[in-house]
Amino acid sequence: MIRFEQVSKRYPGGGAALDGVSFALEQAEMAFVTGHSGAGKSTLLKLVGLLERPSAGVVTVTARNLRQVRRRGIAQHRRAVGMVFQDHRLLLDRSVQANVELPLVVAGVPASERAKRARAALEKVGLGGMEQRLPARLSTGEQQRVGIARAIVARPAVLLADEPTGNLDPQLAVEIMRLFAEFQAIGSTVLVATHDLFLIKRIRKRVLVLDHGRLVDDLAAGEVAA
Amino acid sequence: MNAPETRASAARGGALARWWRAHRWALAQSLLRLREHPLGTLLTVAVMGLALALPLSFYLVLLNLDRFGQALGEGQAVSVFLQAGDAQAQAQALARTLRGEQTVAAVTLKSPRQGLAALAALQGFGPALAALPDNPLPWVLVVEPRVAASPSQIAALVRQLRADPRVALVQDQGPFRARLDALRGFGARVMQVLAALLALAALLVVGASVRNDIQSRSQEIEVLQLVGASAAFVRRPYLYAGLWLGLLSGVVAVALTMLLEAVLAGPAARVDAAWGGRLGLVALDVTPLLALLLAAAMLGWLGARIASARHLAADEPA
Repeated sequence: MIRFEQVSKRYPGGGAALDGVSFALEQAEMAFVTGHSGAGKSTLLKLVGLLERPSAGVVTVTARNLRQVRRRGIAQHRRAVGMVFQDHRLLLDRSVQANVELPLVVAGVPASERAKRARAALEKVGLGGMEQRLPARLSTGEQQRVGIARAIVARPAVLLADEPTGNLDPQLAVEIMRLFAEFQAIGSTVLVATHDLFLIKRIRKRVLVLDHGRLVDDLAAGEVAA
Repeated sequence: MNAPETRASAARGGALARWWRAHRWALAQSLLRLREHPLGTLLTVAVMGLALALPLSFYLVLLNLDRFGQALGEGQAVSVFLQAGDAQAQAQALARTLRGEQTVAAVTLKSPRQGLAALAALQGFGPALAALPDNPLPWVLVVEPRVAASPSQIAALVRQLRADPRVALVQDQGPFRARLDALRGFGARVMQVLAALLALAALLVVGASVRNDIQSRSQEIEVLQLVGASAAFVRRPYLYAGLWLGLLSGVVAVALTMLLEAVLAGPAARVDAAWGGRLGLVALDVTPLLALLLAAAMLGWLGARIASARHLAADEPA
């Protein structure tokens, strides 16, 4: 489902954000990407979401070599990938429901169904009843959960999350991870970038460890010491 | 419902239904944007409306000047002098023939005696005319072309009269009509240039408005691109906004022109009355008004298209 083959990413005037990274994630597999700040976690997710292109190597997602995806195909690729961002990327002048509905609007889902599915997604992240609130009036943790609801509402084939629990209390963070695991169970491939060791230990999944852009460890589920 | 089900749900009702839903959303978004900035919208519409009203008003004035000029031309009839000694019967026969012509509005016969009386009425001619042994003046036909007759049709009529053996001399107002036509052509060209310049100004105004809107919504555009919106999807609300701005400006331009018509109606009626009601001054009919509305909407759309092509960031990964 997601395959990296000797993938490197260099920014102009900077060092290597990723350096010769190779791994493969099957369909319906969930993994954490961890490492210190600047290790390349976010870059790795951006390459999968086609927000950036690699400087070298091949990234394959849902059997498609992303190097061959041209302009028109980018939007199509992103519709199959749900993304949760560290900085939420919400539209602050739109209601919570309007934010969550956005991927469905883009996909051309009818309005009545959009509303139903947005409410269901918000229920799942514990924000039921907040549909008409403006994100600006929510706490940072609540905004993060709106971003998660938006990422899962279209039930994407691939779900990417960059530090999705950074602003959540530990209990809620575990619940969100279990929600991601539910998606994995119904066939989505889930890749979560985090440096929260507590979470990694609680949710026993495969762990990819990055250090200065290099993949230094690839631990199977349960291999992380409790 | 998983990803394939999302696609199935999106496909419900077919591609046409999906297309309609996307356009309905873009329409709603475009109206929301105009409503969010009422003052900006009002100013843009007012400036564009004024710019579009100017050529339309000029067209109205030109249309009526054209009628006025044609009426002046009609007053300058063609005078046909018959051969001296031709009898009244021949003059009347030629008058009958001319009255049957498509380009002729009226023919007036003037006898030699009427001509002599007119000359005698002029100061100083009396004694000279009294010394003449007989009346040397010929029969004269005064031919008034129709208002709708074109210069080429009148010229053809004059050529036909000059070729008639019963006719000694034809005096027409060809140079006058040529000058009038030249002035009409000049006025029409001025209107065309003015319309083109003001249309360009309207295009720039709507382009600037859409550019500002795009710049103030860069975050929204980025989010839409992240959730998989195509370039066309992102651009569509701005195109609709341009279309609305153009259409509203067209309505303002039509309203201003109708106001101008109302203001000028009284003086125009007095001018027409002074010319015996022959001018037939006209108001704009529905065709140019509808054409303006359509052109204004298209200008708005085009301005938005140019601005969005220039200012919407290309969604190309680095």
